Amino acid sequence: MTTLLWTIFHVLVFPGLLFCVVVGVLLAGLDRKLVARMQNRVGPPLLQPWYDFLKCCGKETIIPRHARRGLFLAAPIIGFAALITVALFIPVFSYSVYSTSADLVVILYLLTAVGVSMIVGAAASGSPFAGVGLSREMVAMISYELPFVLVLLAVGRMAGEGSPLGVTFSLQAIVDWQTVNGNLLFHWSLIPAALAMLFVIPCEIGMHPFDIAEAETEICEGTLAEYSGPPAGLFRLTHCVKMYVMCALFCVLFLGGIRTGYAALDALVMVGLSVVLTFVTMSVPHAVCARFKVEQVFKFYWTVVAGLALISLILVWLGL
Amino acid sequence: MYDFMYHFPVLAIMALFLGAFLNSLVGRRNAKVRNTVVVLSMLAALVMMLSLVKPILLDGNSIVYWLSNWAPVEGWAIGISLEVDALSLFFALIVVVAVFVSGVYSFFYMDRDDSLVNYYTLFLMLSGSVLGLVLSGDLFNMFVMIEIMTFTAVALTAFRNTYEGALEGAFKYLVVGSLGSTSVLIGIALIYSQTHTLNLAQLAAVLPQADNPVTILAFAFLFVGFGSKAFLFPFHPLAADAHAVAPASISLMISGVLTKCGVYGIIRLGYCLYQNMDQPFVQYFVTGVGVFSMFVCVTMAFNQHNFKRLLAFHSISQVGYVITVVGLGSALGLSAGLFHAMNHTIFKGLLFLTAGAVQHAAGSLDLDELGGLSKKMPHTCALFLIGAASISGLPPFNGFASKWMIYEAAFQQAGETGNFFFVVVCVAALITSVLTLASFVKVAQSVFFGQLNPRFANTHEVSLGMRIPMWILAVLCILPGLFPDKVQQWLLTPATLAAVNAPGYIDAAMGTGYAAQHGVEATLSAGFGMSGAWQPVMWLLLLISVTLAVCIVALLGSDEKATVTSEISSSEDNDPKYDSFFSGEASVYSQVGGSDLFWGFKHNWRHYFSFMHNWHSGVVNDYTLYGAAAIAVALVLCVIFL
Amino acid sequence: MFQNMIDKSMAKSPWIFHVNAGSCNGCDIELVSVLTPRYDAERLGFRLTGTPRQADIVVVSGPITSQTRDRLVRTLAQVPEPRVVVSLGSCPRSGNVFKGSYCVDGPLEKYTHVDVSVGGCTPKPEAIVAALAKAAEILAEKRKEMRQK
Repeated sequence: MTTLLWTIFHVLVFPGLLFCVVVGVLLAGLDRKLVARMQNRVGPPLLQPWYDFLKCCGKETIIPRHARRGLFLAAPIIGFAALITVALFIPVFSYSVYSTSADLVVILYLLTAVGVSMIVGAAASGSPFAGVGLSREMVAMISYELPFVLVLLAVGRMAGEGSPLGVTFSLQAIVDWQTVNGNLLFHWSLIPAALAMLFVIPCEIGMHPFDIAEAETEICEGTLAEYSGPPAGLFRLTHCVKMYVMCALFCVLFLGGIRTGYAALDALVMVGLSVVLTFVTMSVPHAVCARFKVEQVFKFYWTVVAGLALISLILVWLGL
Repeated sequence: MYDFMYHFPVLAIMALFLGAFLNSLVGRRNAKVRNTVVVLSMLAALVMMLSLVKPILLDGNSIVYWLSNWAPVEGWAIGISLEVDALSLFFALIVVVAVFVSGVYSFFYMDRDDSLVNYYTLFLMLSGSVLGLVLSGDLFNMFVMIEIMTFTAVALTAFRNTYEGALEGAFKYLVVGSLGSTSVLIGIALIYSQTHTLNLAQLAAVLPQADNPVTILAFAFLFVGFGSKAFLFPFHPLAADAHAVAPASISLMISGVLTKCGVYGIIRLGYCLYQNMDQPFVQYFVTGVGVFSMFVCVTMAFNQHNFKRLLAFHSISQVGYVITVVGLGSALGLSAGLFHAMNHTIFKGLLFLTAGAVQHAAGSLDLDELGGLSKKMPHTCALFLIGAASISGLPPFNGFASKWMIYEAAFQQAGETGNFFFVVVCVAALITSVLTLASFVKVAQSVFFGQLNPRFANTHEVSLGMRIPMWILAVLCILPGLFPDKVQQWLLTPATLAAVNAPGYIDAAMGTGYAAQHGVEATLSAGFGMSGAWQPVMWLLLLISVTLAVCIVALLGSDEKATVTSEISSSEDNDPKYDSFFSGEASVYSQVGGSDLFWGFKHNWRHYFSFMHNWHSGVVNDYTLYGAAAIAVALVLCVIFL
Repeated sequence: MFQNMIDKSMAKSPWIFHVNAGSCNGCDIELVSVLTPRYDAERLGFRLTGTPRQADIVVVSGPITSQTRDRLVRTLAQVPEPRVVVSLGSCPRSGNVFKGSYCVDGPLEKYTHVDVSVGGCTPKPEAIVAALAKAAEILAEKRKEMRQK
């Protein structure tokens, strides 16, 4: 009984639904505020993404004639739920609920599944703009996947040193290794990988300079072109939660050694680090960069970012 | 195990061949007789193979059946044998299930073709030969079965000879396929000249000791020969040409069953006959071929306009995965490879059948032309999505379970040996997976979603008879994905054990102690650890609970008066509110077709793609040259490094 | 509970979709200037959206030429309820200097109910911000009306 109650608590409150949504909304609001401040504007209130979501919930949902009704409505829900389960698998430093039952590859694929749900939703809407949008979303996905994979392998090798297999995919093992040996961010051979990961974060989320799939000025919100009302709101919310999930993943991969032992304190540290990461990886590029072209994104990620990650992987492999 | 079960392997093979014979004899009378014969022979094979699951896979026995009871005398096996161990039975199960599904599908799918007696005769011969190949305990028998398999497959490829390119595809398959068969034959001849025996068990005892240039040449010939049957790089263009024109049920057979024969041959060759999978060169070589197949074919699939051609390239790409991990020479790798081989048959079979359904219903396979079929064919669309999610490796489908093991295997190999090559293999596998996803997004968008081409307005969902085989495969996609540990326990571990246990294989046929007498020892242990964890049921439960939570919150917050989910009253309704937003223009037919997708990616890779485009010239002379070059390269490399 | 929260959020997050119905581009530039640091409409939650499906406020500029008429009507139909229509500048109101031209089918009132109208050629950004804020209030009222219905 208590286990069931705890499970419900984990799923609904912490580190599940409520925590993710609250932190995600705060991070997204903070990002908009920070961008506004950097552009010398006042900016929207901190809770603006939450108002946006609620407003969307109060609007009418139009299902276009060419859309496939069931998938069109189910895609946002499944994507959102898949993202929350990813959050459940990521340990909040020492406070890990389900992290032993999943590993880096699973996280990678579950994040892909979130993207795919958006793609399927876009495809199901039957709009040509969404068609172009999903094509771009897929190109973005291919772009960041290579550096992401290289980073994960480099981390897996570094944290797996000393284990019988020589490598590890387990997030928990990576966190444990860092508690003993210090944060991976401060191992010089992994600094390029950390840099690469910082670049992967905004593209994975689809933040401004890399938001080629939702370019509102060129392709009318792309993948979201036909979405209105609550489903659109849920997609926006997914976007916010993804910000937190990616920041948390970075923290676990590179700063996993910071653990206080108290779950609440750990969660606070995680949120604090997420704020810093949001500022570095999302707000600054958003404020200073114009949107990339599709082929530029791909080129950038497969040369510069993948190159950085590859340097780390080779250094780690050489035992440095 | 009951005594009569010893006859099941040979009876299963005979049932299929006898069915072919009876079919051509009496099948012309009417369709019912013909279908009865076909179903009975397929069912007989299926039931016999399933009944062997318990004694062989679960209890760990193996069956050695000497035809005409010509058992070995004084350590020399002269007679022809069938030897069924867990590995053989694993592949035999794949074969009989695929054959059954494909056969049932054919009854409804081929309803517009004539001379179906010939079709079913060839189909049953193909099935029988494939089953014979995986159950055979004799190298030359394997070659005979390969020949029957190749020629029936060629004939079936050209079965719809009114289709554009059917004869061309079959001709290419014939010419280059013969090259592969010849390569196998030369390999067998060389081995026979050295060892004076063709029995697999005896060869497995003798060959590792008879380490001379001739047997090494034979290894290269046999590897290329079996590789060509699995359409590995550089034999892959054949598969594309053959699949695109063959009936969908035959595409399932070629991709799901024929390629598995090549995989089976390579596993037997490396782990059992030569037992040289622990040598670094063999690992590099086999894995390298696998990585090339997997990567080149997935990029080739990117540029296809034909639904089935695209699937064909993916088929080779997935077989590339299998060969890649089989080449790692670790128990985990072999398990992962076997798992993926099984899953590939299931999901690729499903995808080919959905392609067949689209072809049957809409009459086209052109990705630039189709679109919006999900409204007309909702079941086929759902089935396609299941298959696509499986092949792209999305959790919780079976493709993810096996691909996850593949990454683990490659990365562990890298960790244990400290060799960077295997890291590259792991990265290539992961990137191939995302590219696979991309091309199935392309198919989904350009066939099932988007806007319906007015040309296909009269398309209807296919008959129940075609959907049931597809649903069977779809269920088979989901179950192993949810319970990989059970699959591991019941199927993969016994098969892996059998594959690495060469002494057991030898002793079963040649008498206990024969392996020890020749100094053959098991080179690999079958146990392995995992460097990560994946519990799909748990994830699924969490996903369901989160979905429920979201839905409950949504329902609590919903207000019928304010949030109106609009319905479309009828398709004639011209209310512009429900048109696609098109910057205010009137809604016209506008579909983002297959060729228009992924521009940013294709643009950056344009040089690669144009090179590949020229390289896949479609000229049979070129393809033969590539095949010959592959043989030459394999020979040179093996002679230098082995 | 949710409904009250939604009602309150309605006025705080109005998203704008801008339709140019043959405008001379003057009003369009002024509308964009509203989002710049000097006026910063985003602090009130305004955001330009690319598709009418997610719009709450439709801003129409230009005298409704015969070329744009059908497209305007179609786009307005595609905006989900509740929605507010704002006419920007003198053109959609009266036709301005284009009035009487063979190719002008205005005013906007002929095709839809206009909730807020900003005059001027071109209106000042301050006026536009005030009009948008007024539109956001109307939006919240419309939502309440919809619930009471």
